[in-house]
Amino acid sequence: MTEAVLRTENLTKRFGGLTAVDNLSLNLPGRRLHAIIGPNGAGKTTFFNLVSGLLAADSGRVFFQGRDITGLKPHEVSRLGIKRTMQIKSVFPQLSVAENLWVTRHATKRVLHPFRAASSDLETRERVEHTLEQIGLTALAQRPAGTLSYGDVALLEIGMAVISEPRLLLLDEPTCGMSPAETERAVAKIKQLARTIDIVIIEHDMSVVFEIADDITVMAQGGILASGNPDEISGDERVREAYLGRPEDEDYVEEAIHA
Amino acid sequence: MMTPAVIARVMLIAFGAFLVAVPWLIPVILNKFWVSVIAEIMIWSLFAASVNLLFGYIGLLSFGQALYFGFGMYGVAIGVATLGLSFWPAFGLGIVASIAIALVSGIFAVRLTWHYFAIITVVFSLIFYFFAVSVKPLTGGDDGINFALPPTFSIGGVTGSFSDANFQYFFILATVALCFFLMHRVIRSPLGKAFVAIRDNDVRAALIGLNVYQLRLIAFVMAGFLAGVAGALFAFFGRYASASYMFYHVSGEAVVWAIVGGAGTLFGPVVGTTLFIVIREIVSTHWEHHAFIVGAVAILVVIFAPKGLVGLWNAELARWSERTNDASVKTKLRTEP
Ligand SMILES: Nc1ncnc2c1ncn2[C@@H]1O[C@H](COP(=O)(O)OP(=O)(O)OP(=O)(O)O)[C@@H](O)[C@H]1O
Ligand SMILES: [Mg+2]
Repeated sequence: MTEAVLRTENLTKRFGGLTAVDNLSLNLPGRRLHAIIGPNGAGKTTFFNLVSGLLAADSGRVFFQGRDITGLKPHEVSRLGIKRTMQIKSVFPQLSVAENLWVTRHATKRVLHPFRAASSDLETRERVEHTLEQIGLTALAQRPAGTLSYGDVALLEIGMAVISEPRLLLLDEPTCGMSPAETERAVAKIKQLARTIDIVIIEHDMSVVFEIADDITVMAQGGILASGNPDEISGDERVREAYLGRPEDEDYVEEAIHA
Repeated sequence: MMTPAVIARVMLIAFGAFLVAVPWLIPVILNKFWVSVIAEIMIWSLFAASVNLLFGYIGLLSFGQALYFGFGMYGVAIGVATLGLSFWPAFGLGIVASIAIALVSGIFAVRLTWHYFAIITVVFSLIFYFFAVSVKPLTGGDDGINFALPPTFSIGGVTGSFSDANFQYFFILATVALCFFLMHRVIRSPLGKAFVAIRDNDVRAALIGLNVYQLRLIAFVMAGFLAGVAGALFAFFGRYASASYMFYHVSGEAVVWAIVGGAGTLFGPVVGTTLFIVIREIVSTHWEHHAFIVGAVAILVVIFAPKGLVGLWNAELARWSERTNDASVKTKLRTEP
């Protein structure tokens, strides 16, 4: 087994009386596409927030490629190459689509030049154009991101993750709100990315999960309910039980099994 | 082809030509008094630009910029009157003093955002206001410091003095224009784009790797610099410094000027400042309650042009150019066989 790309030790986060992430010890080996699933409120997003530095853990540690990153600030985590998308889509609404990509590409540079015109940076401009093509938003390049449809914003977020050349990508329900056609495009993109980048994806759409994941971790009430490959997970009694309260997901599991 | 960019350039050149012609043009069509009003407008525009850099570009609403204006003023006044410095060292002292105090207060202030930030900036300026009023030997207290005209100085062989009204006017024009040019460069640079990204969405900005705290501090110090230069110029212009210019209503006025003119646009502060100072000069001689008009104009603009007057102008220009573009496309289509 390759060295873990992401590892946690007894990670815990409480909100008042609620323990959102409960003594979580995870070990995600590299070069595989990991999916995290689990019912609403299981603590999946909170786990991402702890890794990316948006929240500070109450106890426990996080390791990225063997390096302890517990307690680092979001921009420090980002600069190590861990990029994420948000469950509630989050871009720069008043900047154009192209500028969103541009500023994301530039953000990791050590020094931001205070006087040279941004538009004179040809290398970045080419990268932006290339990425726009990849995510299929070339026609909307000059539109303010705040005026895009929800699905296009989600695609833009993926584009922003891609253009920053991450080493580890955390995707929080990337296809939520997308049309079937957009979902297909996004899934294809994610699959392609997974060949070169380590990816952890939180996803409710079980057809997507079973299509792309190498490994699945099922979370419930802040802890790990089960983990394994898609076959093992779809056959797991406890997983089916955890989803019993949510008939729509039950259907997905059924579909995925019989697919 | 009259694109919005071409129109903007033409207007800028015309505006520049007008400002250069002011010392000869204005005494003919109005009177000499208005030349110094225009000089004053330029200084206050620079001060409003410092509010704009923070609010319009990185999203921090400061109600305390008068503090840095005041330090620029006192740096010059104390430099000339107490330390006996000549022109440039006194000017430099004013700017360095305002940058230094902006750095020190910024280290605390930019940890906060929104109303917490606004409040802490007011608190800082109040603390120093009362401090300046109380240390009378240094600051002259309520009376301020009057100082004799700064010594004559020379730039590259040309000697000049603020006692020469034209020289004074052009010195102010050149300094303010240089500051606006620097701000223009910053806005278009990678640093400026990072500012705007933080204004738009600071969580996302941190997630893409921007050090939000550090960048806010940089913007805060830059804004302190702009306010400090304005204060230093104003000290030379009025030959005095007074704690009353550090009071927060001075800061508040600049906020109104910047927002009404158009926060987040380079020339918004110039438009807003010009509008209100002209209103003040015209109305206050006839009617003591000119603040009513100021308030009414401010409210109307905020309601009908939330992006300020320059924002409104830009939007109209964009609409107009889109319409003419559509029209030309249509004509082309029609002429096709
Ligand atoms: N900032 C916060 N303050 C207080 N409670 C929170 C906060 N963030 C999350 N929670 C709570 O922690 C629990 C876990 O939330 P989390 O968002 O991690 O769940 P999730 O697994 O991502 O769910 P979903 O599938 O709905 O996105 C929930 O009960 C939620 O209400
Ligand atoms: Mg979630």
